[in-house]
Amino acid sequence: MFNLSKVASIAATAILVSSQTLFAGNAPENDDPIKVTIQDWTGQHFSTHVAAGLLKEMGYNVEIVVSDAITQHPAIASGNIHLSTEVWTNNVGDLYDGLVDKGDIVVVGELGLSPKEGWIYPPYMEERCPGLPEYKALYDCAQTFGSAETFPKGRLVTYPASWGTRSRDMIASIEMPFEPIPGGSEGAMVAELKSALSAEEPVIMMFWQPHWIFAAYDFNWVEWNPTDGKCVEESQEKDTACGFEQAKVQKVVSKGFQDKWPAAYEMFKAMQLTNADENAAILEVDEKGRKVEEVAAEWIAENKKIWEHWMH
Amino acid sequence: MKSQILEKKTLSWIGIIFITVIFLIFKENWGWSTKYPKEFIVPFADWINFSMEKFIDNFGWFFLKISWLLSWPIIAAQLLLHSIPWVVVMFLVTFTAYLSSGLRLALFTFSAIFYMVLIGYWEESMNTLALVLISVPMAIFIGFGLGVWGFFSKRAEKIIMPILDIFQTVPTFAYLLPILLLFGFGTVVGLIASVLYSFPPMVRNTILGLKRVPDHIIESAIMSGANSKQLFWQAMLPSCKKQILLGINQSTMAALSMVIIAAIIGGTADIGWEVLYYIRKAEVGQSLVVGLVIALMAIIIDRITSGFALQSDKDTKGPGFSKNSKKNYLSFAILGSTILFLLARFFVVLDDWPYDLSVWVASHINDLFETFVKAFRTEIKQLKNYTLFFIMLPTKIGLEQAVSPFTWGFPLEMIHKIFYFTSFSALSIWFLKNKKNDIFVFIILLMIFLYFGLTRMPWPPLLLIYSFFAWQIGGYKLALGTFLGLGFIVSVGMWPEAMISVYLCGIAVVFCFIVGTSIGVWAAHNSIVSAIIRPINDTLQTIPLFVILIPFVMLFKIGDFTALLAIIIYAIVPSIRYAEHGIRNLPSEVIDASKMMGSTKMQLLFLVKIPLALPVIMLGLNQTIMYGIAMLVIAALIGTNGLEQIVFIGLTDGNMGKGFIAGISMAIIAMIVDRITKTISERRSEALGLEIK
Repeated sequence: MFNLSKVASIAATAILVSSQTLFAGNAPENDDPIKVTIQDWTGQHFSTHVAAGLLKEMGYNVEIVVSDAITQHPAIASGNIHLSTEVWTNNVGDLYDGLVDKGDIVVVGELGLSPKEGWIYPPYMEERCPGLPEYKALYDCAQTFGSAETFPKGRLVTYPASWGTRSRDMIASIEMPFEPIPGGSEGAMVAELKSALSAEEPVIMMFWQPHWIFAAYDFNWVEWNPTDGKCVEESQEKDTACGFEQAKVQKVVSKGFQDKWPAAYEMFKAMQLTNADENAAILEVDEKGRKVEEVAAEWIAENKKIWEHWMH
Repeated sequence: MKSQILEKKTLSWIGIIFITVIFLIFKENWGWSTKYPKEFIVPFADWINFSMEKFIDNFGWFFLKISWLLSWPIIAAQLLLHSIPWVVVMFLVTFTAYLSSGLRLALFTFSAIFYMVLIGYWEESMNTLALVLISVPMAIFIGFGLGVWGFFSKRAEKIIMPILDIFQTVPTFAYLLPILLLFGFGTVVGLIASVLYSFPPMVRNTILGLKRVPDHIIESAIMSGANSKQLFWQAMLPSCKKQILLGINQSTMAALSMVIIAAIIGGTADIGWEVLYYIRKAEVGQSLVVGLVIALMAIIIDRITSGFALQSDKDTKGPGFSKNSKKNYLSFAILGSTILFLLARFFVVLDDWPYDLSVWVASHINDLFETFVKAFRTEIKQLKNYTLFFIMLPTKIGLEQAVSPFTWGFPLEMIHKIFYFTSFSALSIWFLKNKKNDIFVFIILLMIFLYFGLTRMPWPPLLLIYSFFAWQIGGYKLALGTFLGLGFIVSVGMWPEAMISVYLCGIAVVFCFIVGTSIGVWAAHNSIVSAIIRPINDTLQTIPLFVILIPFVMLFKIGDFTALLAIIIYAIVPSIRYAEHGIRNLPSEVIDASKMMGSTKMQLLFLVKIPLALPVIMLGLNQTIMYGIAMLVIAALIGTNGLEQIVFIGLTDGNMGKGFIAGISMAIIAMIVDRITKTISERRSEALGLEIK
């Protein structure tokens, strides 16, 4: 529930608070607004407001533009949007890879989040399915997770069809007696989790972190065999299954960004946020109902030591 | 003679059934008949992607220029609406509402706008309004122009009409991506999408209005020496004012319903975006509270414009417009706004409602809802399971697979199969003996469908059955269209998904038609029922469809059943409305006559009223199907597997061709069903000698 003019005013106060800082380079190189995109999950709101706040500190003109996780890509490629703090590589579609290959989208590096993806379940399921969190337990208690549509198999809610078919492929390769049901959308998946929790019903779902739901409710992760870093999802064996290849969160800018705003580029390249940073912010916003702009401004005010290094 | 034709028809059906059985027998051997071979898939999607890329490389700059131009009016409208204090907007709209329909609407408008302020969404609401304020005039202008052109040129009408059909049936998700690729990013995309979606009703109403101008008006205008310009602007146009205002009304409603869909691609911090944000977090309460803003806006605009449309009809109702009073109203509006504007300078509350004063009812709704889910958990589960076991699964995968000890309580054995086929066959032969040949064919086909299931039927016989059915209803043209259209879906390899869409939508439509028509008939006889149903229908039709999804998922979990319910709740509205309208508007002399002949209430209803109202009821069926298909696309967000999901995957994957082909396929199905139901309705009304309004 943000609103652009209020964002601007809060960010402006943030600048007033600490306008004494000295900056490297001769930023701002020009007054054209840097368009930073904001999307639809709180973690991303936070990282975007931190980046925008810091760019304003450096004297840049920053504009915050609303977009969607997928539709931002053509917009960045055409220069309508200049900067995006979080592109999750597991959820980008062919479009993104093509645009990066062409050079229309420039990957600056990773943000520093270590995302986790896998299957989650509420803790009360451990009583009903002894052996969890070990994935092998699921072979024996598939029916505990069963439903009318999937009987005699268990029911596993997976990512929406438009996010790919990773769980389906893996279930097929390790012959697990589960039926993958595509979740449709984030909202539907969260609704399903909430409803299952309120009635303590069985549920198991493919999910990702950082996500605010972990701040609000307890979930456990299904554990797989440890790997030496690489896990080929679609060809695993029942006994040695390694689960899922973990995603990267990339920072990207539009073509020509580096030439136009070199100092901004260097700062953004150095910028790093951790899961702890985001989870704390997510909790403040989604649980305590505070405004994300406020929380981001607070982070900027408290972590000057950290971001000063990014600007040199 | 007649019986011979009947014979021929039935014989052809028996032939088709025979072919179907052969295909079913050799299903395993002829793999291509159940799974269309990959090598033969026509790569339309790739062609579209390729040509689009080339097109953008060459002409992209042109569209970006347009986009730049169009962004100015929106920015201007937003700035204007943001700079005016909310009291002033509230005053002006409320006053307009009063002029349109009197005190009651004014009161409603006042409370609705205050609601937007109170929940703390004023700025977002104004962003939405800005988009509507710019897009609706554009849509009306384009629609009026095309409508006039289509009226004067038969050839133009022939080109325009199919284009309108396409714009109204291709799911909007399917053309969001092309617009995005062409026009770049930002609010303009939402603007263009909503113009494209909302101009067709304006064209239709303009043409219809002009066609209905009575001859005597044109004649007397010509006799009094009007030239063609005067004839058009001063004689014809005023006499079809009502229809044109209706077009404006419908276009506005369409634009508002597009707002939320446009929000998916982002670009505007508007109400649609806020609704999506809460839906992603599955906040039932908040999404309802915010979604209601769009519904309220739609209802206000609808009532105001239709109020003016009614006034143009009979000037006696409402405060009316004499020249003198017009001047007075205008000065009152200016004076009032100025005073309030100045007041807002001193009392900031009147300009910028403080965040702390915003009222949050959302959490109460959430709590209430959670309690409900807990309390009725078992009942909900039973309802869901029974529907799945006995209706949905048999339709989808057939009794052959749906019957098992887990679902029906016993395994499907030879004895059951024999019983099933012999009893169905006996029933059908009984009908054949009694010369009910159509029912005979229907029962045989039903027997086959139910046993094998829609998604497990080979496509060649299905294609044949659908085309032959279309031929019987509307002749060879409709049959050819059906055959080519469905053939296209087969050739792009989307047949299995298409059948899943047909299965979900089909069950929903049958349910809506039966239940909705019954409610409509009841409402036509009982004014209390009618009064209760109307506001419910209004809200269901105007609230953003997404908002309905989340509570349904909470109740029934992700899956086909939830999708089915979501479709039903939206598509049942036209069935109710048309049935009530059809029964209420029957010629009274017919009913009086049958009453005098001593028919009972039941006889009157089933032998007189319903048959006479059937053409209108069939139009309701037609609309129910269209609404069902529209909602299907939204249902993709709760995990269905049909064409609608491909449309969505195309959008999120950035694969324009794929999404577009799936969208066209849905449009094809919609258009075929539309033609068939309309033809049935026309035929019935011709047979009854009625004219449908």
